[in-house]
Amino acid sequence: MKNEKYGRMSLWKLIVCLLSALAGWAQNAETEPIRPVTSAYTTEVGTGHLADTYLTPLHYNGVHVGLRYERTQAMKSNPEHWIMQLSLGLWGDITKNPAKNATMGNAMLQFSWGTMRRWTLAPRLSLGIGPAISLSGGCLYLDRNGNNPCSARGAVTIDAIGYASYSHTLWGLPMTLRYQAQLPAIGTFFSPEYGQLYYQIYLGDTEGLVHTAWWGNYFLLDNLATADLHFGATTLRLGYHCRIFSSKVNNLVARDVSHSFVIGVVCDWISLTRGKRLPDARIISAY
Amino acid sequence: MNRTIIYILFLLPLAACHSIEDFDNTVEGNFDALWTMVDQHYCFFDQKDVDWDECYTRYKARLYDGMSSQALFSVCAEMLDELQDGHVNLSSWFNTSYYTKWWSDYPQNYEARLIEEYYLNFNYRSLGAAKYAILPQNIGYINYSSFESSLGASNIDAMLSYFSLCIGLIIDIRDNGGGELTNSERLCRHFIPERTLAGYMINKTGPGHDDLSKPFEYYFDPIESPHIAWSKPVVILTNRSTFSAANNFVSVMQYLPNVKIVGARTGGGSGIPLNMELPCGWGIRMSSVSVLDAKGISTESGIDPTPGYAVDLDPVLALSGIDTILESAISLLQSDWQ
Repeated sequence: MKNEKYGRMSLWKLIVCLLSALAGWAQNAETEPIRPVTSAYTTEVGTGHLADTYLTPLHYNGVHVGLRYERTQAMKSNPEHWIMQLSLGLWGDITKNPAKNATMGNAMLQFSWGTMRRWTLAPRLSLGIGPAISLSGGCLYLDRNGNNPCSARGAVTIDAIGYASYSHTLWGLPMTLRYQAQLPAIGTFFSPEYGQLYYQIYLGDTEGLVHTAWWGNYFLLDNLATADLHFGATTLRLGYHCRIFSSKVNNLVARDVSHSFVIGVVCDWISLTRGKRLPDARIISAY
Repeated sequence: MNRTIIYILFLLPLAACHSIEDFDNTVEGNFDALWTMVDQHYCFFDQKDVDWDECYTRYKARLYDGMSSQALFSVCAEMLDELQDGHVNLSSWFNTSYYTKWWSDYPQNYEARLIEEYYLNFNYRSLGAAKYAILPQNIGYINYSSFESSLGASNIDAMLSYFSLCIGLIIDIRDNGGGELTNSERLCRHFIPERTLAGYMINKTGPGHDDLSKPFEYYFDPIESPHIAWSKPVVILTNRSTFSAANNFVSVMQYLPNVKIVGARTGGGSGIPLNMELPCGWGIRMSSVSVLDAKGISTESGIDPTPGYAVDLDPVLALSGIDTILESAISLLQSDWQ
């Protein structure tokens, strides 16, 4: 009898606890909105221009290709006003000298993560700006050079990143026009000495290889203008990517410019966990 | 005030677009490009005592309108010869210029056929550019004709193991015109007993002739066990065509206590070359890093044999199958010189 009483009490306690928990989850579901992840997978093709006086004083021109993944999401702490963006880019160039008798290749990998404060200026117009951290590395390779065939690149920078986005409908098709720019403000980057060979670095001559980056000696402006065409659940991204890089250190000048056409798909991913009921949920997108 | 800040923000990126000196693809433009690249990157102006500005005036006066590519090439090649450097070449689709007097003004002191026929009886082992055999005097003999060809530690082990019962070793690098410095290092590591100061390197730090780095010490480490380290006597045979990476090999080995250099002065070539190119597509190669030996001495003009061991190949005796340089090395190893 005593055990049965304790059993009933425990059951009531369990029910009360479950209800409390459910109520709590329901409350969380109201206060914590769903933040879709906007993922863009793009590829780009265009023209590339390379110059690096460590390898050659001549300007090389050719083809530029690249792949880019971009993940954008409203931030958990303040989803109305802050978004974060992660991007991973891999690109390369195959270029020729003016006489067309030498080939210079370029392969670069860049990772960037940043946050942006956004302002909705009008129902369809928003702007954002914020800081980002970027890591990039790669190398240029000139096949005609013997002891100095490659020029390695590497940098860690704190960047300014900003965007402007405008949504409208064209011939009944919803679309989002977006321009994004990223500009390193300060950081560190790698460069060999003026006439230093990589064999010397291999032997241990590593002094003076890392330099403080600022606009005066390391300038990189990454411009991306896109039009996202929303076909139902699928979004087609078309755009233009222009990357302008220029550095000068140790009396060495490097300059890369690429102009490319961008095409890809954009998807919104929603992570549904317990308590998030989609029909009633408040959804705050990064776009 | 706000407008000033906006102007600064816009102008800063423009200021950061760094300029690169452009040259026209004309007779004058290519000549100027060549002269300027050498002027800014060549590392031996002071050592060679070359007045490069005077060269510009003298050779530029030979240019004329409508000059053919071949004529321009000849003028440029002659100007480069002023540097007296075997590491300086101008390469076009029809010719490669090459300064030859560093070896052509001297006796060759080497005949490959003489060695193969009279000393090796055409019976030797080969590994890449290396031929090796045991001489009748129980002396190991390696002829390494080019450091363009790599030998791995296991290859070198195989040779040294083959010579394990020999009383000494001869490394013949006459006519070895160099190649990869790493191949010189790979071979040296089997002969150095401990971490050894191999020398110093000085690179350009800017376009001025005096823009040179402070000397950087570089070291070679001995080969690790279980690879074979050689501690018995070694004689290195050299001639004027022992050049570049082979010259570097001699510059490191000459200071080891169990090593003697026999033959003629090496050809030098201690500069490590880098490549550039002209607007017309021709390539230019020139010394840009100066390598000094472990005593801080430049070996650009060559390394003398160990004092008392300078020997020339006697051409008369060579006709009867005697290599006087090799004979001297054999006698030396048989004489218990240590």
